Amino acid sequence: MGEGGLTSLTAVVSRPAPPRPVASRRRRRPVLPRLTHFASFGAPGVLVYLCFVMAPILISFGYSLTDYNPFHPPVKFAGFANYRLLFTDSQFLTALQVTTILTLIVVIVPNLLGLGVALLLDRKGWLYNALRSVFFTPVILSSVVVSIVWSRLLDDRGPLNSLLRALGVEHPPGWLSDPDVALYSVASIVCWQMLGFCVVVYLAGLQGVPQELLEAAEIDGAGPLRRFRAVTWPLLAPSLTINTVVLLISAFKTYDYVKVITNGGPGSGATATIAFDVLQTGFDSNHVGYASAMAVVMLVIVAVVTTIVLGFLRRREVDL
Amino acid sequence: MTRALARPTAAVLVGAVFFVPLYLVLANVFKRGDLIAKEPASLPWPPTLSNIHAVLTRPDGLFWVSLTNSIVVTVLSILVLVVLSAMLGHYLARSGKRWTKVLTLVLLAGLMIPPQVILIPITDVLRITHLMATVQGLILFNVGYYVPFGVFVFTGFIRGVPVELEEAALLDGASRMQVFWRVVFPLLRPATASVLIFLGVWIWNDFIDPLIILGPSQGTTITTGIYRSIGQYQADLGSVFALMFLATLPVLIFYLALQKQFVKGLTGGATKG
Repeated sequence: MGEGGLTSLTAVVSRPAPPRPVASRRRRRPVLPRLTHFASFGAPGVLVYLCFVMAPILISFGYSLTDYNPFHPPVKFAGFANYRLLFTDSQFLTALQVTTILTLIVVIVPNLLGLGVALLLDRKGWLYNALRSVFFTPVILSSVVVSIVWSRLLDDRGPLNSLLRALGVEHPPGWLSDPDVALYSVASIVCWQMLGFCVVVYLAGLQGVPQELLEAAEIDGAGPLRRFRAVTWPLLAPSLTINTVVLLISAFKTYDYVKVITNGGPGSGATATIAFDVLQTGFDSNHVGYASAMAVVMLVIVAVVTTIVLGFLRRREVDL
Repeated sequence: MTRALARPTAAVLVGAVFFVPLYLVLANVFKRGDLIAKEPASLPWPPTLSNIHAVLTRPDGLFWVSLTNSIVVTVLSILVLVVLSAMLGHYLARSGKRWTKVLTLVLLAGLMIPPQVILIPITDVLRITHLMATVQGLILFNVGYYVPFGVFVFTGFIRGVPVELEEAALLDGASRMQVFWRVVFPLLRPATASVLIFLGVWIWNDFIDPLIILGPSQGTTITTGIYRSIGQYQADLGSVFALMFLATLPVLIFYLALQKQFVKGLTGGATKG
């Protein structure tokens, strides 16, 4: 996602492919000579990945152990000082808190609303098809476009507050200017953009629920709520897994919205996520060493949380 | 009767509320500049093309320069990505070696790495190789960053292609490359379509990477162009809205043309056994 938008995740959460037919599995030797196969097919992709993803991560870790600042040479080795500093740095702790709140909202709200909308739209007909497209359109918009539109809409003198004033609200909230509100506004905007993704994934999941099961439950006397809880919901487990992991990872990376809408503010870092802080510290303040320590901590948090959540969600998936 | 109408009514209402911000863009693209600030929510009547005209004929050519950069970056990135990830996917699916499992895991990890973690060192890598602030540098970064996604889509599909097909072609005297591009690759059309669509939209919409890698002065893509024009032309909202509209149009057309494939690709993971 677009950055900040969707992430490359259907692949991570999809199940492993079915085993190959016995005939080819029995074969000891692979079809193609190994080394040349790797050199011609594997190496180019692996090389670019190593140069542009893996090596930078190692370099980042290296920088994080120094006081590297391109405008203040020489570079000194600092050991784990940056890391120790991080956990007493109120700005970083605020960013950690902001990221946590944002992530919780962005994982829970589009998941719930997306399920609701999908249940509402789970019918055939042109009206429902058209509405699917309406909900999906924000997913393919750039987060910069989404951010600009919403910041116009939520401006103190923007259309939303004009409407509220017309309805008799004397002091409508400063959606983006009040430090206590701004984070929730930004989170809502992310939710708005991600909602369509969840709707489409849940709709696909709903298509996989066998009608016979629902009919059998109805004959057994189960009401609509009971049918949903006992039949539909457990069968939507893979959809929940995909949505949760995609939302989780895109919430962690939230940068575009913060940069365009609030630039970290209002006040001192009311909406500054870790992803935002890393780039501010690294590129605007040039504290590359310190920013790298922040980036490494961020990477560890993303990896640990995603692995735990993915493991947990996978375990509750049932097989038909 | 009322019960039968409840669902469509609710669906339309929810859809309408959701659509408000999109309406705001559409309406203001075709509205006179002075009316945008005064009455942002009103219908654009009489509609005007002056905003779009203004963007297309700007003296600095911002729109055309950004459009060219975006097209070059997106098209070249996705073409290289398809070739590299299809071949790497083939290697991972067909090689029986144990270390491919490790390689697969290392690539899998790439799917969750936030770009912020690698952007700082990337700028140093690009500076050393004299690729910083160049379109080539941005393309190389895109290729490295998105290769895991392509590989996972392709690996899954290639596993579904019978090895016997390849063996038969090899026995007939074709080279390994010929077998892959003439026999296997044409069978991977759905995978290629999802990779092209997803990566195309992500790279087109990307903001942070072009912002940092292309740098402030060198070049703009369509998204960084919009971002800069809100700062510089605060007063001329009509142009900003028109620019956003024009920037989205190609993605929208791309999406509408390939809608079926798009949704199939999106949900492939959910429904694949």
